[in-house]
Parts: sequence; C-alpha cells; structure tokens
Amino acid sequence: MDIERLVEIMSERVPREKTPIHRIVAAFIVRDFKIWWTYKFWLALDISGIILLVATYYLFSMITSPRQVYEAGYVRGGYFTFALIGIAFQQYVFFAVQGINESIRDEQWNGTMETILSSAINFKVFLFSETCFFFIVSSALLFLSLFLGVLLGATFYTNPKSILSTVLLSILLIASHMMIGVMSAGVIMKTKQGDPLAWAFSWITQLLSGVFYPLKILPWYLEWIGKIFPLTYSLDGIRLCLQAGKDITSPEVLGDVINLIIFILLSAPLAFYIFKKGYDSARRDGSLGQY
Amino acid sequence: MKTEDLIDIFREDVPRSPSSIIHVWAVFWANLKIFLSYKTWVITETMSTVASIIMYSFMGLQVDAGRMALAGYEGVDWLSFALIGIATANYLWMCMSRISHSMQHEIREGTLEPIVSSPINMGSYIIGLSLRGFIVSCYFMLGTILIGVFILNAQLIVNLGTIMSFIVVLILMVISYVGIGVTAAGVILVYKKGDPLTFLFASITEFLGGVLFPLKYLEAYPPLWFIAWLMPYTYALDAARKVLLKGMIISHPSILLSLSVLIAYSLIFIPLGLKVFRWGYDRIRDEGTVASY
Repeated sequence: MDIERLVEIMSERVPREKTPIHRIVAAFIVRDFKIWWTYKFWLALDISGIILLVATYYLFSMITSPRQVYEAGYVRGGYFTFALIGIAFQQYVFFAVQGINESIRDEQWNGTMETILSSAINFKVFLFSETCFFFIVSSALLFLSLFLGVLLGATFYTNPKSILSTVLLSILLIASHMMIGVMSAGVIMKTKQGDPLAWAFSWITQLLSGVFYPLKILPWYLEWIGKIFPLTYSLDGIRLCLQAGKDITSPEVLGDVINLIIFILLSAPLAFYIFKKGYDSARRDGSLGQY
Repeated sequence: MKTEDLIDIFREDVPRSPSSIIHVWAVFWANLKIFLSYKTWVITETMSTVASIIMYSFMGLQVDAGRMALAGYEGVDWLSFALIGIATANYLWMCMSRISHSMQHEIREGTLEPIVSSPINMGSYIIGLSLRGFIVSCYFMLGTILIGVFILNAQLIVNLGTIMSFIVVLILMVISYVGIGVTAAGVILVYKKGDPLTFLFASITEFLGGVLFPLKYLEAYPPLWFIAWLMPYTYALDAARKVLLKGMIISHPSILLSLSVLIAYSLIFIPLGLKVFRWGYDRIRDEGTVASY
C-alpha cells in the first residue's frame, strides 16, 4: 500500500456543503423521535403519569374551597383549573431546566458525545437541535393535561388576547428557565453528577412559586422568597389570562412580563459564563465525552 | 510463582457458613453500606421528603373541613389525613421496588452472575435485600410522621395501643405486597426490564388508594371504586387512618376485617411470587442468560 498516497488522500480538504440549520434541527427531531418511539413503554408511562396526576388533583379539588383562588384574582374555574395550569405549565419548566442537561447526559451515557463534537456540527446548533424534540414532547404533554382537565370540567377564558398573552408568557417562562438549565448544564459537564442546582431549583419553585396553591397562603417571608423565582410570575400571568380573562395590556400581567424580562436579562450573562467555564474545562480535561 | 501452589490454594475447601441467617445479614449489610455511600442521594431524598411535607401542609390550608366531614372525617384536619397516606404510600413503594430495582441494577452492572454462581441461597439474597429496603423505608416514613407531628402539628392519636396497631398494619401491608415485588423481580430476571412497571403500579396504587383525598369521592366512578377496593393498599391505608386518626386499635372489628383481607392477599401473592421468581431464576440458568442484558 502506498502510505504517502493514503495520507495525501486523507489530508485532502473535501469541500463540504453547508447544511442549513433547519435541516440539522429537523434531522435531530427525526432521530430523537425514532429513539423515543422505540421506548413505547416510557411513552405509556409519561401519559399515564399525567392522567393520574390530573385525576388526583381533580378529586382533591372536590374537598377544597375555591375561596383563596378567587381572592388571588383567579375568578374562573376554581381550584381544579388553578392546579391544572400549575401541572400543565410545569412541563415547560422540566423541559427548560432539564432539556440541555439530559441531552448532554444521554450523549455521554451512550458514548456518542465525542463523535458528534468531532463532526462538522456547531456545538450551539447541536444543543439547540437536541432540545427541540424535548420541547415538542413537553408541549404535547402540556396540551394533553389541559385536554384532560377540560374533559373533567376545567374552564378557561379563551378570547384571542388572553391566548396570545398566554403564549407570550409561555415563551418567557421557557426563556427564563432555560437560563437555569444552561447554568446547570455547565455544572454537569464538569462534575458528571446529578446536578444539585437543578434539583434545589425544582423543589424550591414547586414549594414557593404557587404551583398547587396561591402565593398568598404562604407566610410573608416565604411569599417574598417566592418572588425571586420566574415561575411565580409566569404562573401568575398565565392564570390571570386564562382564569381572569386579562391580557398583556392589564397592569398585573404587564408587571409579570416585565419581571420575567428583568430575570432573563440579569441571569443570561451568569448562565452563559458558567456554561462556558464548564464546557471549556471539560474540553481541556478531555472529559467532555465521559460519563 | 508456582502455578501448582496457586491451584492448590484455590482447591482448598474453605469451610463456608451454611447459615441462612448469616447470608441474609451479609446481603443486608453489604446493601446498607452501598446505600450509605450515596450520601448526596440520602441528603437530597431527605430534603425532598421535608419539602414535600411542607408543600402538603400549605395545600391543606385550602381544604374545606365540611367536605372532609361529609366523607366521614369529621374533625380531622387534612394534613393529618394526607400525612398517613404519604408516609404509608412511600413506605410501600420503597419496600416493593427495592427487590425489582436491585435485580435490574445487578443485571445492568453485570454482578448478577457472580451472585448466582456463589454459594449464597437466592432466598437469603431476596430476604436480605428486602430487609435493607424495610430499614431505609422506615427512616423516610418515621421522618415524614415526626416532621408532620412535631413541626407541622398534625393531629395524630399516638399511644401504645395505636402505635402497636399501626406497626401491625404496616407489617401486614408490606407482606401482602412482597409477593408482587418478588413477581416483578422474577419477570425482570427473564425480560431484563420491568422496573417502570412497578413504578406505574405504585402510581396507580397511590391514586386509587386515596392518599390525598377521601375514597368516598371515588364512589361516583363505580369502576374506579371497585378497582380501588381490590387493592390491598386501600385496606391497609383505611386501617392505618382509623388507628391514627380515630384511635381504634387492632381488636376493633373494622381493623380486624382489613387485616384479614391483607392476610388473605399475602396467602395468595407470596406463593405466586415465589413460583414466578423460581420460574425466572431457573429459566435464565437454563438459557445461560444470567449475565446478558
């Protein structure tokens, strides 16, 4: 074998056709869907988990008084609709906080991280594409929860302005929680262990952001701590739109939107800094692909 | 090194202890040490338990006492009601999932084959694993009840009679489900998966058992109501609530009835579970798939 010739062929620069980003994203979505579809049991488990959760809070709502929910300004649908919104929109919290983490962990676990990184794909495009499928699944579970809720008697205001404001608030919910997800991914790339940041965040928000009860129920000091977290404003805004018929032009909803934007602006530089540190450090150690 | 000497050493018949108690203790102790080595997991699980109880205490502030009374819980605050449900459901889930989860873990890590080929009896191995599950679950269950009673002021009736009766209910509840856990382990041995099935089973049990709401509200849905009363957990939870919320003790006819149902389930499920486990164990040895995953 003519080794020199072989080396020459291998060193030849092959002009690559630049693949448009939308095609890369679509390829990742198709790949993830195919993998996901093979785990039909997990799919059944996700769906049955949602059904059981919605059904549990439906039955729990039968022993609750709607007084606190009405006093908080959510005048339509009572406690069940209130809890349903908390359950449904938490899907986006899980997606935003854990989506990037899980993608990185899955590739590390399967030993495919280094293969992907040594291909021509840009790391940011890779991360974005990886999270797209999570987003689709979370949206499907969110709509499934709302659909089940409506079947069980949940009622919402569905005028166009309220719906559009809900969509805007959902985008802000995802963006603000994505910052936590990015921070947590930075930590996990370095530590390779279950991330205490994401764990603590998910518990504290569940406790203090009014997922299952209005914030007014909490003692004043916990209510104040709850106001640090973006989920508090997201859920309040969404509930005001869907349970009180308000929209972005109302001062309360606008206040929630502004608070979310402030949170995103303040946390973004810190999140990207932590992520870059973790990513660079893992690349330097050569441990990016390790589990 | 002289190879012959080495072979002689390996050939040497080391007197092994045939005692099942020592085997059970060894499995229990080894697994407990593994559990304690996961310090972060222990800490985060403990904190999750505390956070969830606090969350339920806030949820309880929305409950209408009148509607609880309509369901037969007059004068009972919802936190106390839910606390018993959460504590027993978590206890049962941790005990039940321990055997199947350990099997799945041993298969994945490739350590099942050394266990199977060691002189340890499989029965001792299962009992050792279960004991470890009971002890760890006890820690979380006691923690839940103590936080509820001493910090969140849950109104449970605690005296020697109710404590002893509650312990009996717990033991019979776990025994009635051991058969299901062993069945799941037997299935996992053969099909190498099935852990999620026990998770689904636990979720359905929690929902239909009425952990967060009185079962009276399921009466409007006859099929669910019927299935709920087919599950041993429903009888165990009902008895546990009667003991700790109403002060009844084991000699009360309604508690005795629940305990009889639990004993009947144990008599059905344990032999069935052992049969399935024996089938799975023999099959993987026959097929030579002990180490495959």
